[in-house]
Amino acid sequence: MNRRTFILAGMAVATATGAGAACSGPTGLAYWNLFSGGDGSRMTEMVGAIGTRLDAVTLAWGTPYYTKLAMAAAGGRAPDLAILHLSRLPGFAPLGLLDPFDDDLLVAHGLTPDRFPQAVWNRARHNGRTYAVPLDTHPLVLFYNTELCGKAGLLQDGKLKPIRGERQLLDAFGKAGLALAAARDVNPWRLFWTLYRQQDGQGLLDDAKALTALRLLQKIGATARFTDNNAAVALFGSGQAGFFWNGEWELPTFQEQHTPFDVAPFPQIYDRPAVHADSHSFVLPHQRDRDPERTAQTVAAIAELVGQSLTWARGGHIPAYQPVATSSAYLNLLPQANYRSAAAEAELDPPVWFAGAASDLQSSAGATIGAVLGGTMSPEAALGDLKATVMRLKNTPSPS
Amino acid sequence: MRAVAALLAVIWLVPLAWALDTALKPESETTRIPVSWIVPGMSLDAFGRAFADGSLLAWLGNSLLVGVAVTALTVAVTSLAAYGLSRTRFRGRNIVMALLVAGIVIPPQVLIVPLFAEIVGLGLADTYWALILPQVVLPAMVYVLKKFFDGVPRELEEAAVVDGAGRLRVYWSLMLPLARPALAAVAIFTFVTTWNNFLWPFVAVSDPHLMTFPVGLATVQSSYGVRYAQVLAAALLGGLPLVALFLAFQRQLVTAIKG
Amino acid sequence: MNRSGFWFVVPFLVLYAAFLIVPMVIGLGASVTDEGITGHAGFVGGANYAELFQDPAVWSSLGHTLIFTVVSTPAIVLVGLAMALLANRATPERWLYRLAFFAPYLLPVSVVVLIWSWLYQPGFGLINDLLTRLGLGEVGWLSTDGMAMTSIIITTVWWTAGFSFLLYLAALQEIPRQLYEASALDGATPFQQLRRITLPLLSRTHQLVIVLQVLASLKVFDQIYLLSGQGGIPGVRSIVQYIYESGFTRFRIGYASAISYVFFALIAAVALLHFRLTAGKGAKR
Repeated sequence: MNRRTFILAGMAVATATGAGAACSGPTGLAYWNLFSGGDGSRMTEMVGAIGTRLDAVTLAWGTPYYTKLAMAAAGGRAPDLAILHLSRLPGFAPLGLLDPFDDDLLVAHGLTPDRFPQAVWNRARHNGRTYAVPLDTHPLVLFYNTELCGKAGLLQDGKLKPIRGERQLLDAFGKAGLALAAARDVNPWRLFWTLYRQQDGQGLLDDAKALTALRLLQKIGATARFTDNNAAVALFGSGQAGFFWNGEWELPTFQEQHTPFDVAPFPQIYDRPAVHADSHSFVLPHQRDRDPERTAQTVAAIAELVGQSLTWARGGHIPAYQPVATSSAYLNLLPQANYRSAAAEAELDPPVWFAGAASDLQSSAGATIGAVLGGTMSPEAALGDLKATVMRLKNTPSPS
Repeated sequence: MRAVAALLAVIWLVPLAWALDTALKPESETTRIPVSWIVPGMSLDAFGRAFADGSLLAWLGNSLLVGVAVTALTVAVTSLAAYGLSRTRFRGRNIVMALLVAGIVIPPQVLIVPLFAEIVGLGLADTYWALILPQVVLPAMVYVLKKFFDGVPRELEEAAVVDGAGRLRVYWSLMLPLARPALAAVAIFTFVTTWNNFLWPFVAVSDPHLMTFPVGLATVQSSYGVRYAQVLAAALLGGLPLVALFLAFQRQLVTAIKG
Repeated sequence: MNRSGFWFVVPFLVLYAAFLIVPMVIGLGASVTDEGITGHAGFVGGANYAELFQDPAVWSSLGHTLIFTVVSTPAIVLVGLAMALLANRATPERWLYRLAFFAPYLLPVSVVVLIWSWLYQPGFGLINDLLTRLGLGEVGWLSTDGMAMTSIIITTVWWTAGFSFLLYLAALQEIPRQLYEASALDGATPFQQLRRITLPLLSRTHQLVIVLQVLASLKVFDQIYLLSGQGGIPGVRSIVQYIYESGFTRFRIGYASAISYVFFALIAAVALLHFRLTAGKGAKR
């Protein structure tokens, strides 16, 4: 029995220690995000640089994060602060899974509408209240290899000559080569949405404009190497392609590889400048018994974090907080500052509950449009597919 | 034959051995190609980091707390019920027996959605109660203990009753001590099942500070990206206590499983 | 005196009612509404049930679950039996075999998944490294739909075969030695002994192991969900995972409850089938 008694005694001690560790001391405000890798270390740096004590937890990006966030909010004991893609707001705010910000509190900490881009601030509102404070805008951009494009005669004064219209775009891609992340990716949806919104395509979907976009994508796909994200990054990074059309978040990868590149906002091909983007924002997940004191501290923390968004910008993101976005420090941050105009042209996913980052719409549409890029589906068939998907999602009862 | 058995056993142990080997390596060496079992710089570093970095200690503490609470409550509640069903007659006894059988057939997976709704409705989401209470309902254990009590000779009790002992006294002073091996089996089985339970704790709790070890390990990511040595060290630290427990309580565990 | 017995059962009944009966009732009620994750609900009658029978995801996840069950059950039973037969002979080192084969069963699923997703890695994963050294190509264990289910089943066999191993070992040890000794005197080979003595005497255990394994496999969630990167491979999603996703990812508590009830009917049917089969056998004996 001695061995048993020893083990049981050990367990008792361990229980006491563990339970003590579980509910010990002041741990700061609970903060959930979905950042890992480079973004994760930058966020950790920012959290460390501010005065308010934050207890940050990282959950797996995408569906697992949003599922857990919603369950925590439904239970009413959610974290004090969380990150939310603004494109997901229509699925969260109307359900009461987020608590609105107190406008006076926001003003008191300098988080006023004039300090954020109009495009994203409007998406942070619901029913006349503010539900999110944007940290960044992260659009698609056009990476270009300065050497390859120079040889192809596409540069002027070291910068990419402006590209307008389908012909010039296909021409440029044809001359210098394009690496496209299209296989098993949601990127095709973002490319499509960019081209669709540049024609001022309304709703889901204007057939003619959607078809125009899909046809152009088909032609673009024919000039490009159809690969997945990792392979496309490798192609551009190793100098085998002159162009890379993807999100600005890939920027640090190419800096590390010392690829000779620069970044430009995605060209305006059609009637208006527009580019697909999303925005990481700070939200207040729903709490049953909200403590005003803690909430005030949380808003203070948000203000401090957006004040640190220069660190965030090093990851390629465009700071949403204008005092940082217009600061000389940011303006001198190259190549990030070269595409800062994209923030004003940001087009988030349509404001419906079934769209947004890691949504059903993005994964379905991504697969369909990817097939067009890969040449295995015609634009007409893809349009039918997309409309069927949208219809199916619209017919699903909206969540409550 | 012996060689085959030994080979199979070695193959079966390789995954654990490889996990341990990786946990002993420096992070940079874990992704080296071609792989090798011995690399320079092996140490217990990753284990230290696993403790210091993140909430491993809290998760282990939660698992222990919930495990002990569920086990204690289960032993108490099921032994009471088993004794009552075995030794007493009361109206509705047959209904309770039927409920027992029904309970054994209902899989917990069927209940996770409505149970979550119930927990949220009661305001118990993200609490220890949400973790502990639903796991105490183990009709199979009541059945097992009832069978045990059925097998105890009645003369022992009758003697005690003649001496003036009430039912509760008989239960406490006579039946429980007699049932010690069966109770030990139930306790060990319940503790192991509770420690390893994933689905319900995953649904019931979202707050990382309340997570039990299996849930925390699967849910919380490192903000730096996957550090294999460290995360495998954490996995081994949380996974091996039960193996140690098995070595200590082999007989009871095997009895429980056979029952 | 008759009443006091009841009080012994009360604590259990209270918990049973609160955490088994109440959820069953709530689930039934929710299944005829469009209840969402925040609790708002409106009556929809049989709409959820109608929808789920036409939902391709319900059928595909049922299909995945059946494939998982049909493939993993024989694998686990056979491996467990083989282990027990081998370990039964090795008297002095039996504890080592018990440990080697049973230890995985004691690990929580997250640990098992972590160890195996590490083993399945491309490049520096041990398995792919071995394949490369042998001159064979690498395999995308978890990166292709086709392989993913196989990989999940392999992991499941490693994890859970120890349970049937223990049951078989215990049953083997109850077979009297004399039977073997007598048949050996009659010139029986080990293989004949296996077929004529061992396996028939294990038939009760076979039944038990198979039925437990089938029921457990139908309810699978953990390792499929986690090995697919928390739901990243819809091509292997099990029915319980689809219930989880419908309720908590898509916020449709009502719909998920309806699927849960249909799933429960399936499980109950299998259990009933087993009961009928074994009751029949008992009567024949």
